[in-house]
Amino acid sequence: MKIFETGHDYSYEWSLVSAAHWCKYPNEKATHVKCVDVLNQHVDPETGVLTMERLFTVKQNVPTFILKILGSDTTHYVREVSTIDPRTKTLTMRSLNLTMSNLLTVEETIQYKVHPDDSTKTQFTQQAAISAGSSVVRWGNLLEDFTLKRFQQNAATGREGFHKVLERFVVMAEAGHQQQQKAVRSDGQNNN
Amino acid sequence: MSSSVGADCTELKQKYDNCFNKWYSEKFLKGDTTPECEDLFKDYRACVMVTLKEKGIDKLLDESRKEAPFPSTSFGDNNNNDNNNQPKKS
Repeated sequence: MKIFETGHDYSYEWSLVSAAHWCKYPNEKATHVKCVDVLNQHVDPETGVLTMERLFTVKQNVPTFILKILGSDTTHYVREVSTIDPRTKTLTMRSLNLTMSNLLTVEETIQYKVHPDDSTKTQFTQQAAISAGSSVVRWGNLLEDFTLKRFQQNAATGREGFHKVLERFVVMAEAGHQQQQKAVRSDGQNNN
Repeated sequence: MSSSVGADCTELKQKYDNCFNKWYSEKFLKGDTTPECEDLFKDYRACVMVTLKEKGIDKLLDESRKEAPFPSTSFGDNNNNDNNNQPKKS
């Protein structure tokens, strides 16, 4: 099994980051994510926690030796369940591959929280456990190594891509806010 | 905006996405958790279900939900296998 762990601080506050993450795809960096679908959603009436189940359709080229192990279809599906607690300002996502799961499992956990030292920032942590199944005893280690490297690459482009999404999101949010303020001011003038 | 795994469903999806994103920022994050966009979600979801069945993804999902029950699995969908033991709220 290979473990991947990383962390990152985003210089945006948590509400904005959590809202922007729904708009993370498509982005020019993460071109391997082709589709995102919401399968289920639920708000717990007692805790106020929102739970979402999503399906990701991913298409990515792989080296020939991997194709020989995994078959020639490069389209894969990932199931993600995320919980958003607006009171503790915590967004937690767990995902698991649906396809190839008899050969390889990649289980990922991501969390976005308010940065403990700076409430204007958001702390991001990501963990993945990658393990090749018993069907690939001979090539298991090689497959795990490759998947880990690919995961690291995707994580890096994921962050870069999300940064661009956040920048656009902030601009749109500010434009919306200014428009609202204009409307309020002109209302005030009309009423005087 | 991202497209749907069912190409025909993308338009329905984007209508739902617009509604959801607005609700999330303007209501949910501000403490109002009353669900909205339910009709839009119903239409979009019905469309996606057809594609999931066609591609066999529904079976993969069922297996995944049995083998790896994520925490908080009360998805509000009556057709799902419920993996948790929490009593259903009426």
